[in-house]
Amino acid sequence: MSFLRIHAQPGRTAIWTLSWSLFAVGLILYFYAAQQRHRENPDDRVMPTIAQMVRGFSDAALKPAAEEEVQAASGSSLLARFRTSMLWTDTLASGRRFLISVALLFPAVLLGLHMAMFPVIGAFFLRFILFFDKIVALSLLPILFIAFGIDELSKIMLIVIGVTPTIILDTFNLTKSVPREQIVKGFTLGASDFSITYRIVFKQIWPRVLNSIRLNLKAVMLFLFAGEMIASTDGLAYRIALLRRHMGMDTIIPYVLWVALLLFLVDFAMNKLNHKLHPWFQER
Amino acid sequence: MLLPQLNISLDDLTLPSGRGSVTLAKRGTCFRSAASIALAIGLMASTPVRAATPSFTVGWSVYVGWNPYYYMAKSGILRKWAAKYGINIRVQRFDYAPSLDAFVAKNIDACAMTNMEALDMPAAAGVDTTAIIIGDYSNGNDAVIVRQNLTLAQMPGKQVMLVEKTVSQYLFERAMAINGLEQQIKQVHYLNTSDSDIASAFLTNQSKPVVVTWKPLVSQILKAKDVKVVFNSSQIPGEILDLLVVPSEVLNRADGSGQKFAKAITGAWYEVLKLMSVPGPASDKVLTDIAQASQDSLASYREQLATTHMFYTPQSAVDMASSADVKRTMDLVRRFCFQHGLLGEKTKSVDHVAVQFPDGAVLGRPERIRFRFSTAYMQLAAQGKL
Repeated sequence: MSFLRIHAQPGRTAIWTLSWSLFAVGLILYFYAAQQRHRENPDDRVMPTIAQMVRGFSDAALKPAAEEEVQAASGSSLLARFRTSMLWTDTLASGRRFLISVALLFPAVLLGLHMAMFPVIGAFFLRFILFFDKIVALSLLPILFIAFGIDELSKIMLIVIGVTPTIILDTFNLTKSVPREQIVKGFTLGASDFSITYRIVFKQIWPRVLNSIRLNLKAVMLFLFAGEMIASTDGLAYRIALLRRHMGMDTIIPYVLWVALLLFLVDFAMNKLNHKLHPWFQER
Repeated sequence: MLLPQLNISLDDLTLPSGRGSVTLAKRGTCFRSAASIALAIGLMASTPVRAATPSFTVGWSVYVGWNPYYYMAKSGILRKWAAKYGINIRVQRFDYAPSLDAFVAKNIDACAMTNMEALDMPAAAGVDTTAIIIGDYSNGNDAVIVRQNLTLAQMPGKQVMLVEKTVSQYLFERAMAINGLEQQIKQVHYLNTSDSDIASAFLTNQSKPVVVTWKPLVSQILKAKDVKVVFNSSQIPGEILDLLVVPSEVLNRADGSGQKFAKAITGAWYEVLKLMSVPGPASDKVLTDIAQASQDSLASYREQLATTHMFYTPQSAVDMASSADVKRTMDLVRRFCFQHGLLGEKTKSVDHVAVQFPDGAVLGRPERIRFRFSTAYMQLAAQGKL
């Protein structure tokens, strides 16, 4: 039983096999159940087969989104067809909201930093943000509608309200964890308040803050989907909500996998970038 | 229409399935995980578990025409009828969309839904479905509401809030078509809005001039100033039918238990409707209890009933189901569903999902019948033979 011990050293093949085995089990269970259902009912839409999903995905990725563009699209290259497709237009719409919201998280980092460094700013904001952090933004939707309308702004604000308090408090805690001695040392060497804040403290916490933003991307996505399902005219979650109306699982499942892939790529890129920018940063 | 909009803390009327799993959990993790895996596989393969007494589950969601199912179970009327036929019937409240999902996945044996959803959800997904009770039709429950005296002719270019691809969109497009504006429908911008937020979203956004929704949301919205109804479902009477549907395979079960189930639920349904339709204050008690299903007051429920054409007697429902109107309606509905891709992307022809009527007439290809109207059980009720 030594292979179950803490000091076990599984080989390369063993690790590879183990890490993919749950995927295999999931796939086998799914397709077994799907096949059962299809034997009973050839038109089943609840658990589409691979062929159905491939067709659903290629329709989504290669057929034009709007009916008017049919003539323009047929006959052009694969890339051109992809760019007028449902999938691409939805991805663009959601992606835009996603990027704006993530960009809006950066001022939150600065706020957290200043709250931790300057006691007066901290006293002013901390209690309120601690309170605000516990508010379930989704339950206040009617108020959000009054304040921000039901167009783009309310969707972005939903994300901002949902995620920024976490980022602010996280930055605050990270800043506080920088040893006091460093700050004192900075002063003895003649640094000003701001050079200590930005050149000593911020530099140290920045990779950890980036990490924290990266870990919160899923929350961003969750709020984005919630917003798009409530009221919208485009976006990935809008499409999923619509397809659900007639059980278009053959398109929904590939859509969900596509979103997972995009999220994974963003996560991966941010992680790589973080390590590239801060080679001394070893945490993951 | 018809999606419930409030959270309703309704006690489960029959034994909740969760109660059984509590005892399982005490027997140790190993057993529990084995049980949950078995359950998951069982659910996926949707193997029906047969008990000694055949059991059936009816799914319903909050809507004026379906709230009687709540009362039926609560008052014991359903238990009485089920006992008469020697079966068990459970009644379970769902949100509307999940109830449809559960029905298509064959987790429940009967479900309250509209004629449109019956066609584009189970029937289009290959589940041969039979409507055994025609409960009512929307006679003003669904409405197109505008601000500032806007008219239908001014709709092109405007944003319309609605739950896309539902009877709301059907109602709106019928309104345009009836007023000779069919060509302009494409210039209207739909804003897909979840029914749980549509009332507050419309009321707080002056920039959105049009909303299409259903009661009781309509009543809420109409309390605001400067809004009015330009079209409602009473102008297309009988087109939005509320049904109780059952998978045809359940009705055709070899042991005849499906037939018993259909008879029991139909019998219970008309007993409740008879209690409801007593004129005057005599029915107040019953209606108050029924209104509890959606946590409504008696007055509010009566107001909703006023715009709902209930088929109180089985004979009236049989007459409706046998009329030529139903064929015309179903033709309109199936064409709407086909045009909007609701029958599935693969469905190349509107005839691919065929509808059969009580007289045997079929809309679509006869070998592809997926949705049937049956008057058999309502007929038995009318003759007093249940």
